[in-house]
Amino acid sequence: MNEETGTRSAPGPDEAAGADAQGAAVMDAQSAAVIMQQAREQAGRELRVRRPVVFVTWGLVLLIGYGAMWLSVRGQQPYTGPAWETLLLAFLLVLAAAAITAQVVDRAASGVGGRSELQRTIFVLSLIGGFAALEIEKSAMTHAGASRPVTAMLGAAAPMLVAGMVFVATSAPAGGLNWPRLALGVWLLAVAAGGTWGGPVTALAVYALAGGGGVLAMAAIEPRLRRP
Amino acid sequence: MSEEELDPAIHVPARLRIMVTLASLDEGDDLSFTRLQDLIGLTPGNLITHLRKLQDAGYITTEKNGSGVTARTSVALTLGGRSALERYTAVLRELLDSASR
Repeated sequence: MNEETGTRSAPGPDEAAGADAQGAAVMDAQSAAVIMQQAREQAGRELRVRRPVVFVTWGLVLLIGYGAMWLSVRGQQPYTGPAWETLLLAFLLVLAAAAITAQVVDRAASGVGGRSELQRTIFVLSLIGGFAALEIEKSAMTHAGASRPVTAMLGAAAPMLVAGMVFVATSAPAGGLNWPRLALGVWLLAVAAGGTWGGPVTALAVYALAGGGGVLAMAAIEPRLRRP
Repeated sequence: MSEEELDPAIHVPARLRIMVTLASLDEGDDLSFTRLQDLIGLTPGNLITHLRKLQDAGYITTEKNGSGVTARTSVALTLGGRSALERYTAVLRELLDSASR
């Protein structure tokens, strides 16, 4: 270590960084401010999950997935449910979105441990547990004689109900309130609850437009809501 | 006010970058040695040297988990480290303000 060597003659930002190859340069206040700014920006770029990418991905899944199902049930008399092709499409879209989300999160969270890691695990387990519980509930309702439109409505609302509740419940980590997550959670719950009143066909259109549209809108406004 | 008032444990480019990077994590989080090395761009030897200095000052903690190929060393800012960086930032701001007057 030769920290006491080096220059105090106001190196530029690149110089200051370059002189640090041995980690030894002494810097002036201006250079220190530049280094702090650069380090802060780099950490923000590298360690923050790019939420707009995740919101756009899932917004499109809701819009296209529910939209396709709605187109396949529009005008059905009696109601028989979405075409299997649209259910397959929705399933594939969810798989693709999950893969994109995992990649985006992994890029930012790689090497980050501690409380955030635990929160991410709980978040994912809550989503999986919630979906599984509602699917079991749906099967139980079918077994008990519930009609197809009733179980279809529960199945259609389930993703937004579960995601909405998990978002709201996890919107206040130790670092403070996560406004985008809270707002999106409340919105999804409202859409899930409100859409069901339209019946099994209209509900799908509501979920596609209000659910998918809401998530896409969040992609646009999230950077402004993000806490500094 | 002079630059001598800037905390010497932090006022070195590499250590300043380490402190700012760790401060960008949420409280209670840590960063693996290898990811920190990627972000800071130092050799392992240099990084260890700087981390030791910060650890001696009580600004960071390091923890090693596992052994062999699964070993993971994590680095975290202490509360004292976070406060020290805030003080450093405040002094730096005053220095820059007085220089611009």
